[in-house]
Amino acid sequence: MNENYIVNIVLPVLLTLGAPVVGGLLMGVDRKITARMQSRVGPPLIQPFYDAIKLWNKRPVIASRLQPVLAFSYLGFSLLAFGLLMFRQDLLVIVFTTALADTCLITASLNSKSPYSYLGGRRELLSVLAYEPVLIMAFLSIYMVTGSFLVDEVLAYRMPLLIQLPAVLIALVLVLIVEMKKSPFDVSASGHAHQELVRGVYTEFSGYTMAMLELGHWVKVTLVLSIVTLFWAPNLLIGAALSLAAFFIVLVVDNSYPRLTWRSMIKTTWGVGFILILANIVGLNLMGVI
Amino acid sequence: MTAIVLGASSLGLLYGERFIMTPPPLCQTAVLLMDFLLLGYFLYVGIKKRNPLVMGLTVLQALPMAYFELMGWGHHTEPVIVVDRLSVLLGIIINIVGPLVCIYAISYMGEHEDHLGLSKSRQGRFFLFMLLLLGAMNGLVVSNSVYWLYFFWEVTTLCCYELIRHDATEQAEGNAQKALWMSLVGGVAFVAAMYVGHYAADSIAMDRLLVAQPTSLLLIGFGLMALAAFTKSAQFPFHSWLLGAMVAPTPVSALLHSSTMVNAGVYLILRIAPAIRGTSLSWAIALIGAFTFMLTALLAISQRVSKGILAYSTIGNLGLMILCAGINTPLSYAAALTLLLFHSLSKGILFMGAGIVENRLNSRLIDDWEGLLGKLPFTTMTMLVGMVGMFLPPFGMLLGKWVAMDAVASSPTLEGVPLILLMVIGSAATTLFWAKWLGHLTILPIRERHSDPEVLLAPYKLSLMTLLGINVLMSVGVAFAINNLVVPILVGSYGAALTTPGLGVNTGVGTFLVIPLWAAFIIVPLIGIYLARWKGGSIETPYLAGENIGEDGLSFRTIADSESEFKVAGMFLDDVIVEDKVARFGVAVGALLVLLMFVLAVI
Amino acid sequence: MKTKTKARLKSPWVLHYDCGSCNGCDIEILAALTPKFDAERFGIVNIGDPKQADLLVVTGPANRRNHRVLKRLYDQMPDPKVVMAVGTCASTGGIFHNCPNTLGGIDKVIPVDVYVPGCAARPEQIIDGVVLALQKLSEMSEKEDD
Ligand code: SF4
Repeated sequence: MNENYIVNIVLPVLLTLGAPVVGGLLMGVDRKITARMQSRVGPPLIQPFYDAIKLWNKRPVIASRLQPVLAFSYLGFSLLAFGLLMFRQDLLVIVFTTALADTCLITASLNSKSPYSYLGGRRELLSVLAYEPVLIMAFLSIYMVTGSFLVDEVLAYRMPLLIQLPAVLIALVLVLIVEMKKSPFDVSASGHAHQELVRGVYTEFSGYTMAMLELGHWVKVTLVLSIVTLFWAPNLLIGAALSLAAFFIVLVVDNSYPRLTWRSMIKTTWGVGFILILANIVGLNLMGVI
Repeated sequence: MTAIVLGASSLGLLYGERFIMTPPPLCQTAVLLMDFLLLGYFLYVGIKKRNPLVMGLTVLQALPMAYFELMGWGHHTEPVIVVDRLSVLLGIIINIVGPLVCIYAISYMGEHEDHLGLSKSRQGRFFLFMLLLLGAMNGLVVSNSVYWLYFFWEVTTLCCYELIRHDATEQAEGNAQKALWMSLVGGVAFVAAMYVGHYAADSIAMDRLLVAQPTSLLLIGFGLMALAAFTKSAQFPFHSWLLGAMVAPTPVSALLHSSTMVNAGVYLILRIAPAIRGTSLSWAIALIGAFTFMLTALLAISQRVSKGILAYSTIGNLGLMILCAGINTPLSYAAALTLLLFHSLSKGILFMGAGIVENRLNSRLIDDWEGLLGKLPFTTMTMLVGMVGMFLPPFGMLLGKWVAMDAVASSPTLEGVPLILLMVIGSAATTLFWAKWLGHLTILPIRERHSDPEVLLAPYKLSLMTLLGINVLMSVGVAFAINNLVVPILVGSYGAALTTPGLGVNTGVGTFLVIPLWAAFIIVPLIGIYLARWKGGSIETPYLAGENIGEDGLSFRTIADSESEFKVAGMFLDDVIVEDKVARFGVAVGALLVLLMFVLAVI
Repeated sequence: MKTKTKARLKSPWVLHYDCGSCNGCDIEILAALTPKFDAERFGIVNIGDPKQADLLVVTGPANRRNHRVLKRLYDQMPDPKVVMAVGTCASTGGIFHNCPNTLGGIDKVIPVDVYVPGCAARPEQIIDGVVLALQKLSEMSEKEDD
C-alpha cells in the first residue's frame, strides 16, 4: 500500500464519513457559544448527538411512504457532495449535487400534505434561490483566479485565495448564514419561530427521518465551511481557522439580528453578494491580475 | 412508417463522411415555384383574415424574391445539399423524437377528438402537417443553398401556422396568426440576408458565405440570419408566439418545442457561429440569449398553467444554447450541442406527459395536479424523471449546463461577467420552478382513496418509455454520445474541447464524473427504500394545530366548530413577477438588444 | 445506562400546550428557559411540534372545547413520551374547578406522569418536575428493552 493510495482514496473516504461528526460538534459549539452570548451555561458539547440518537430511536412515524426515502436521499446526496469535495473534484458539480440534495428535502416537505411543512418547503426553495447564485458566482471568481474548477488545482494555487478574493469570502459568509438557517435568513425553519411556522420545512418529520435531516444539515454546513477553508489553501490549518472565524461571525450575526422576510433575504444576498463579488472581479481585472 | 425510414437513413448517414449533392435544375425550378405558391398562400391568408401585418410581411419578401430571381442570382449555388456532422446531429434529433411524438399523437388525437365531440375526424389534415413539418426540418438541416434553406424555413412556418390553428377556435386562430407574422419577420430577414450574401460574397451558398472575408456588410447578413433565428427560436422580443402555440393539441407543442421548429433557429446560429468568431456581433447574440434565459426562468415561476411553464422553460433553454453559440469558443459550442441534444429528449417527455394528464384531469392548472403520483402513477413517474432530467445531476441536460458554465466562465472577463450574472440567476430560478412543481406532483393523500387504475393506450406507453429510455441511456453513456455526435462537429471548425476520460467528461477546467454520479443517483434512493422498509413507521395525520377532523388529515375545525378543508397552493410569486409587465420589459429590452446587435455588426 | 436511554434523558424536547390557563404558569415556564434558569443546559428545547416532542407540558384545565385538541396533540407525539401537568389548574382544575365548561385536571383526558402543583408553579419546581419526568422516561426506556 503506497502513500498515494492513502491520500487519494482512504483519506477522502474517512473525511467524508467523518463529516457528520465534525458537523455535529460544530452544532454543539454553536449552541454553546450562543448560550454564552446570552450569558447562559448552555448544553454540553455533544448535545446534537444526544438529540440525533434520541430521534433515531423514537417510534417511527411518517407522513407519506415517500418521505423516509427522500429524507435519506437528502443525507446521501449531501454526503455525496461532501465526498466530491474531499476527492478534490469539480466545484460546480458540488453545487449541483447540493441542489439535488436540497430538492430531495423540499420534495419531502411538500409531499406530506401539511400546511406548515408546505410553507416551510416553499420558503426553503426561496432560500435556495437566495444562496445558489451567490455560491456559483463565488466559484466562478475562484476559477477566474486559479484557472480551474477542480479543487485539486485550487489547492495547488500559488497563494492564498483570500489575498485576491477578500470580498468573495464575505459573500460566502452570507451563503453560510442561509445554509445554517441562521437569523436574519432563517425563514424556512427557524428554531425560534414556532408560533408562525411550527418547524417549517421540518414540521412533518419525526423520529428517524428527522435524525437523517439533522445529519444532512450538519454535513451541508461542514461543506460550506470546508469551502471557506479553501481560501487559505497553502496551509489548511490557517484555512480551518478562517472558516471557524466565519462560523463565529455567523453566530454573532445570528444573535444580533431579527429574522427578515424572504424578500429582504433575496434582496440582501443578491444585492450585497453580487456587488461584492463583481467588485472583486472587476477590481482584479483593472489591476491586471486576471 | 415514413418516420422509421427517415430515422434509419439518418443513422446510416452518421457514419458516412460529408455528403454533397446537387439535384438537377428541375428540382430548383420546382422549389422556386413552390416557394412562390407558399408566399401566395400566405398573402391569401393575410387578405382573408384581414391581417395587414401578414400581408405586408409577405409582400415584403415576395417582391424582392421575384427581383432576385429575375436577375438570375439564385442559380449559381453549388452544392445545394450538404450533409455534415451538424446536420446529422439535428437529423438524429428530428428523426428520433419526431416519430415518437407522431406515435403518441395517434392515441392523443383520438382522445382529443372524443373530448371535442367532433362528428368528422380532422386527423388526416393534422398528420399531414405533422409529417410535412418533419420533412421540412430534415430539408432545412441539409440545405446549403440559402435559397433552399429559406424555402424549408417557410414550409415550417406554414406547418406551424396550420397546426396551431388546428382546433379552429377563435383563440387558436389569433395565436396562429401571431406565430405567422413573427415567423414572417424572420422570412423577410432571410431575404435581406440573401441580398447581402449576393452583394458581399457573390454567392448564396452557405459554405462559401462562411469562409468569405468577413466584411461588415457580410456581418450584417449574419446578423439578419440571427434575427431570423430569434424569431424561430422565440427569443425576446419574439417570445410570445411560442406561448400562444400551446392552444394547439399537445403533440404539436411536443413537436414544436422538442425536435422541430425552435431547433431550426438554434441550428442556424450554430451554422453561422464559426464565421463570426470573436466579433462583437457574436457577443451581442450571446447577450440576447443570456437575457432571454434569465427572464424566462423568472417568468416560468409565475406560470399557473403547465404548458406555460414548459413553454417558458423551452424558450429559456434555447436562450442558453444561443448564449453558448454566441460565446463561440470550442467549449461553449460543445455546450450548445449537448444542450440541444438533451433538451429535445427531455422536453418531449414532459409535453407528452402533460398532454396525457390534461386529457385525464381536464385541467391545465398545476394546482389541480396535486397528488398526481397517486392517481396516474406511470405517467407521473415518467414526468418526474423527465423533470429531474431537466435541472439536476447526473442527467445530460445538467451536464450541458455545467459545460456552459465552464464555457462562460472561461470567456474574457469583462465580456463574460454580464453573461455570467444573467446565467446564474436564471439557473437558480430554473431550480425553483422545477422543484416546486415536482414537489406538488408528489403530494400523497394519507388514506388511499379509491381511484380508477391508470389505463394507458399502447402508443402512449411506447412513446413515453422509448424517449425516457433514450434520455437515460444517453445520459449514462454521455461519453459515448459526446465522442460520436458532438466532438466530430467540433473537430472541423473548432478543435475538440471535450475529452472523456473514464466515461466522465472533462472540459479542461473541470471534470464531471458521470458514472460515479449515476451510481450514487441510483444507489442512494435504493438504500433509502431499504431503510424505509426496515424502519417502517405508521402513516400519521399532519400537524394541524391539533384541530384535525377524522383520520384522513384533510380538514380541520375552525370558527364555531365548523369544518374546513385545507388546500395547499403552489408558489407563483406573481405579485412580484407580474407576467405582463415583465414580458413587456423583456420585449422592449429584447428589441433594444437586437438593435445593439446590428450596431455592433456595423462597427 | 444504555446510550439510547442516556440520549433520551439528555434531550427532552418540549411541546408546551396552554389549555386555557390564566397565563401565570406559562410565564413561569418561559422563565425557566431564560438565562437565569437556563433549561437548555439539560438539553431541553421548546420545539413546538408534537411530532418531534418527547415531553408534553400542559398548563390550565381541560375544558369542553380544548380536550380534543389536547388528545390529538398527545396522540401525535410518537412514543416514548411523558406528560407533565404544570400548575394547580392542570393538575386538578384549580380555581376553575366546578365551572360548567371545565372537565377538571388534564388527567381526565390524557394520562399524566408528573404533577407540578403551585399557583403558579415556580421555575425551580418546573425544572424539578422535568427531572422527575425524565426518571419516568428512563424507566419506560428500560422497560421497552425487556
Ligand atoms: S395554576 Fe394558577 S397560575 Fe397556573 S394557570 Fe392556574 S390559575 Fe394560573
